[in-house]
Amino acid sequence: MPKHVAFIMDGNRRFARKKNMERQEGHMQGFNKLAEVRFFFNSCGEMHAITGHIFTPLNPFCLSHQTLRWCKQLSIPEVTVYAFSIENFKRTKEEVDGLLDLARQKFERLLEERENLEKHGVCIRVLGDLNMLPLDLQQLIAKAVLTTKTNNKCFLNVCFAYTSRYEITNAVREMAWGVEQGLIKASDVSEALLSECLYSNNSPNPDLLIRTSGEVRLSDFLLWQTSHSCLVFQSVLWPEYTFWNLCEAILQYQLNHKSIQKARELHREEQALQQLEADRACVADLLQHQGNGKPADAKRRQEALHLCTASREARVQDFLQALKQKRNHFFSDLYGEAVSAYESQS
Amino acid sequence: MALLYGLLWRLLLALLRVKRALMSWLRGRLRNRGGSLWERMAAALLLPAALPTDSQKKLERSPVSGSRADTGSRRAQWLADGKALEKLPVHVGLMVAEEEPSFTDIANLVVWCMAVGVSYVSVYDHHGIFQKNNSHLQEEIMRQQQNLLGLDGSKYNVEVLSNGGDEHQHCVVSCRPTVKVLSPEDGKHSIVQAARKLCHAVENKERSSRDINVSMLDVMLRESKNIPDPELVVKFGPVNSTLGFLPWHIRLTEFVSVPSHRNVLYEDLYGALQRYGVCQQRLGQ
Repeated sequence: MPKHVAFIMDGNRRFARKKNMERQEGHMQGFNKLAEVRFFFNSCGEMHAITGHIFTPLNPFCLSHQTLRWCKQLSIPEVTVYAFSIENFKRTKEEVDGLLDLARQKFERLLEERENLEKHGVCIRVLGDLNMLPLDLQQLIAKAVLTTKTNNKCFLNVCFAYTSRYEITNAVREMAWGVEQGLIKASDVSEALLSECLYSNNSPNPDLLIRTSGEVRLSDFLLWQTSHSCLVFQSVLWPEYTFWNLCEAILQYQLNHKSIQKARELHREEQALQQLEADRACVADLLQHQGNGKPADAKRRQEALHLCTASREARVQDFLQALKQKRNHFFSDLYGEAVSAYESQS
Repeated sequence: MALLYGLLWRLLLALLRVKRALMSWLRGRLRNRGGSLWERMAAALLLPAALPTDSQKKLERSPVSGSRADTGSRRAQWLADGKALEKLPVHVGLMVAEEEPSFTDIANLVVWCMAVGVSYVSVYDHHGIFQKNNSHLQEEIMRQQQNLLGLDGSKYNVEVLSNGGDEHQHCVVSCRPTVKVLSPEDGKHSIVQAARKLCHAVENKERSSRDINVSMLDVMLRESKNIPDPELVVKFGPVNSTLGFLPWHIRLTEFVSVPSHRNVLYEDLYGALQRYGVCQQRLGQ
């Protein structure tokens, strides 16, 4: 079974267009499904669908709620969804405002359902650059993230104001910040460190990525993290997604598992080799400074290598600690602002 | 209950595996027994008026005098095929997710791509075999070019780029089709190297961390060669994964899967191109 599944839920507008012909039915479906809505925040599903028919947004909402339930039944503890891309800001102002409004509603509802979330142990994380969002939405998100922070049974990662290239760039920026602060050296930059600086640093890489509605591209979603994941492109529209579609995707994953695992292993070995090479370069540097031109013997070389590795690891640890603190501060500051604003209002 | 589900699932999976194994065994057997006969039969059945399969091509190649006109008309046909598409990718990635890649088949694919009018072709496998045997691939491409397109080498002169191939930089200017051989090194590793470079600049106080943005990184990862991102990646083999293929560059890349690159036909490639031709990208809109 995959431990982490990522979804690009595509096809809501197409579904709405298709269903517009049978508007009456759409209404009915929307109302019927409404009764099922319980607590889960859905993601891009309804956000895309808002441009369609007024009642269709409810469909994907319930469905992604269902999807999460399926994942729970199949004991998949972690789900990542693509809710709002930075590219989506290019849409008309009306539409963007509408989508943000919807997100606001969803996060508010989520906070109302806090106990339910706690009962199921749902931890919510939001990946993306929150600075791009209006302040009140930022505060809401901070609140949702902080209140569910300690839950650890299942994880829902919502990519909001997110693109993968931006995420990678941000990771590079964080590392450069670490260099500026004197926490790490430029030579400490490695693949593993970059992974730790991504928004997704708390999650394992997804095992399976599912995109619906027959599109066969990644659209700037988790490019770094899915480099050795099983990609499944399904032609079904998201609102019509069923349990069996999910099973089919998981079967695909299981059939691919062995060869992907092998490729991952290969990649891991290469990564370790590159790290060793970087450390060796550090040793060469060190010995040149100390050695007064004398060629170093093997034993000294070995010692120096140990020293280099240990000091690098210590630096990286410190830096990651600082980065974590910085990120936590960002959320708690937002939360604090929200509380004080609320108090001054009342 | 959970146990029952688990058992059911295992059974389903086992059945699927058996089916898969049976299919591949049957295919292999038929191929072994019939050899080229089987292939020709299949070709005759499936593509009556279409291009010759690999085995037929070999037969055709021997009479040099006659093949000249033949390759000419074939080339015109391929060029027309390219023009008939709604849109043609500028850069196509060929990704082999199979063990033991076949150089001849990949060379065929590269030549077909160029004949249709694609300007840049990237070849990738996650073991880095193509990159290690770069010159072998280059030779093979030259050979297939002569076989498939005739001796008219001046028009389809290929430049093969690879790591450290800086001396080839001029070829972009001259608008010739370019082949790039990629390995996992060009993927995450190149991003890390760009990051290290930027951090060095920050270390030397030449740059501030705030200045770093997406387009800066993008320019660095293009390695000054200004090759566009691949619009289409044709993936060969049964594994549904990118296996480390240029994570930065595949943002908007369409992935089309072909079961195997061994004995691949022009039709398979053209099918992938057609699929790309009809796709629409909304770019977030």
